[in-house]
Amino acid sequence: MPNRMSLIRPLYPIALILAASGLASAPASAAGPIVIGASVSETGPLAVDAGYHLRGLELGVAEANAHGGWLGRQLELKYYDDKSEPGTAVRLYTRLLTDDKVDLLIGPYSSGITQAVAPLANKYQRLMIDPGASLPDIFSEGNHWNIQGVATSTGYLEGMLPLAKEHGAHNVAILSLQSAYSLACGKARQAQADQLGMHVVYTTTYALPQPDFSAMALAVKNANPDVVIACSYYPDSVGLTQALQRIGFAPKFLSETIGPAEAQFTSALGPLSDRVISNTTWWSSLKTPGNAEFIAAYKAKYHEDPDYHSAATYSAIEALGAAVKATNSLDQAKLRDWLFKNTVPTVQGTFKAGAQRGRDGVQAIYVPDPGERP
Amino acid sequence: MLLLQLLVNGILLGGMYLLLAQGLNLVFGVMGVVNLAHGAIVTLAGLFTFWFATTLHENPLIVLPVVLVLVLIVGAFVQRLLLEPLAGAGRKAELLSLMVTFGLSYVLVEGALNLFGSQYVSLPDLQTTWRIGGLAVNEALVASGLLGAALSGALQLWLNRTASGKALLATSQNQIGALSCGIDVRRMRAVAFAIGAALAAAAGVLLILVIPLAAPTADTLTILAFVIVALGGLGDYQGAALAALLLGVVQSFVGYYLGGDAEYVVPYLLLIVFMILRPQGLGKSGRPVWSERR
Repeated sequence: MPNRMSLIRPLYPIALILAASGLASAPASAAGPIVIGASVSETGPLAVDAGYHLRGLELGVAEANAHGGWLGRQLELKYYDDKSEPGTAVRLYTRLLTDDKVDLLIGPYSSGITQAVAPLANKYQRLMIDPGASLPDIFSEGNHWNIQGVATSTGYLEGMLPLAKEHGAHNVAILSLQSAYSLACGKARQAQADQLGMHVVYTTTYALPQPDFSAMALAVKNANPDVVIACSYYPDSVGLTQALQRIGFAPKFLSETIGPAEAQFTSALGPLSDRVISNTTWWSSLKTPGNAEFIAAYKAKYHEDPDYHSAATYSAIEALGAAVKATNSLDQAKLRDWLFKNTVPTVQGTFKAGAQRGRDGVQAIYVPDPGERP
Repeated sequence: MLLLQLLVNGILLGGMYLLLAQGLNLVFGVMGVVNLAHGAIVTLAGLFTFWFATTLHENPLIVLPVVLVLVLIVGAFVQRLLLEPLAGAGRKAELLSLMVTFGLSYVLVEGALNLFGSQYVSLPDLQTTWRIGGLAVNEALVASGLLGAALSGALQLWLNRTASGKALLATSQNQIGALSCGIDVRRMRAVAFAIGAALAAAAGVLLILVIPLAAPTADTLTILAFVIVALGGLGDYQGAALAALLLGVVQSFVGYYLGGDAEYVVPYLLLIVFMILRPQGLGKSGRPVWSERR
C-alpha cells in the first residue's frame, strides 16, 4: 500500500504553480483596481429596496473614484443578482470569495439574506460590513467578521416610550410582525416599557399578508393604550393605520417602524400619515458630513430621491474607505480592528462598531415629518 | 356593541372575500380548471389601478369598467390560446391546466414586478368612517362588500334567468349533456374564463382601496380564494358566498380574542375541519376538493 506522502508528492508542482501565480491565496492583483464584491437583489420581492441599496453602493464607489480611489487605486464594484434568495446569495458570495477573489466585501440587502451569508465572512475570515441587516442576532458573540452598518432592530423606536412618558403616557400596546427583526424590536420595546414603569396593556403578533387588521385594531381600541407601537414593515404599517382610523381610534402616540419614512406611505394614506411617528436611520435634513452633497450627487446620477437604504450602503463605503486609508492596507484583520477602535463620520451619522463587536452600528434614530421629503 | 361591531367587521370582510373568490369559482364550475393565475390577475388589476390613480390623479373607480372590458377580451383570448387546446386531453386536462395557469401566473407576476416593482402600494381613497349608532363602518369596506354582493347577485341572476347563463350553468353541470342540447360548449368555456378573469380584475380594483397589494401577494390571494371556494363547495356559488361570510366573521372574532397569528391560520384550519366533516362544503351542489370531474 503506498504511503500518504507518495500520494501527495505528485501534487507539489501544481501547488507551487498555484502559489507562484497568486491563485492559492485570496487577494486580487495589486496593480489593478480594488474590487468590492456584493450580491444585490436585482430581481424578486426585495428588488425595490435593494435597488436603493445598490445605487448607494454604486454612488459610493463612483465618489471614491472621483476623489482618486483608495491606496492610489481605482475601485471596482463587482456584484451579482441574488434574486432575493438567501441560498443564491450564499452561492454568489462563495463565488466572490473563491473564484473572483475580491478584495473587500459588502453585505447584501435584508436581515434574512445577510443571516445566510454571514457565516461565510467568518469561515473565510473576511471583513463584511452589512448595511442591509438590522437583526442583532447576526452580529452575535461568535461572529468576528461582520459589522452592522445600520441601526439594530432592538433600537427601533427606542426614543418613543421615553418621549411618550414625558408627555404623560402610561399604557402601551405593542404589535409585532412575525419576522426576526420585528419580534426582536417588539421584545425590546416591551422590556423598555417595563423598565420605564409603563403598563403594557396589549401585545400581539401577526403574520403577513394580513388582509384585515380591523380585529386587532378593535382589540387595541378596547385596551385603550396611550401609545401604540407597531414593529412593522410597510404593508402592515399602512394596514394598521387604516384599520385604527376605520374603527375610530386615535391613540395619543401611534408609532410604527418601517414604512412611514418611505414616500409611498404618504401617498397610500394621505393626511392619515401625519398621525404616525416613526424612525429611520437616515433623513434628508440630517446635518451630517457630506449629506447635502450625497443627496445632490444621487439626484444628479439617478434622477430620483435617495432613501435610507442608499444612505446605508453609501455610508458603508465611506467607513470602509476610511479604514483602508487609515491602515494603508487591505489586510482584513487590520481593517476590522481599525473599525472596532475608531469612529467614522458618514452621511447617516457616526459609524461606530463598538464594544459589542458590531452591534452598535449606526444609531441615527429620530422622528421625521412624513410629509417632508428630500 | 362590541360583538355587533365584530360581526359587522366580519360581514364586510366576508364581502371582500366573496369579491375575491367568485371569479375563481366560476372558472372552476364551468371548466373544472383551478385558475392558479387568479391572484395574479387580481394583483395586476390592483397595481394598474394604483398606477392610474396616482399618475393621472383620477378617481380609481373610473378604472373599473375599462379593466372589466379589457380583461374580458384578454381572458377570452387566453382561454382560446392556452386552455382550450387542453380540453381534449382527457384525464390529463386538469393537471395540464394547472401547469398552464401556474405558468401564466408566473408570467403575470414577473410582468407586474417589472412594471410596478415589488413594493406594497395602497390608495387613500374611500377612507371615510361612518358612525351608525355606536358602530364604525368604513366606506372602502362597504363599497367592496356591496360590489362583491352586487356582482355575485348579478352573476346568479344571469346564470339562472337568462338563456346564455343557463347554457353556461348547463355546461358546468354536464358538458356532454350540454353538447347534446346544442350548446356551444367551447364558447361557453371561453365565456366562463373571460368572466372569471374580469371578476378577478374587478376584485383587484377594489382591493387596492382596502388592503396594500404588491406583486408577490398574488399567490396568497389565489390560495385564499381557493380556500373560500373549497369551503363553499367547488363550483357552488351560494356556498361560496356563505363560506366568504363565515370566514370573515370567524376571522373577525378570532383576531379580536386570540390575536393576529390565530386570525391568519383561520382559513386553513376551517378548510381542514370542512374536509374532514363536510367535504362537499357549505353549499348544496358543491363538489368535494378531490371529486372526479363530471
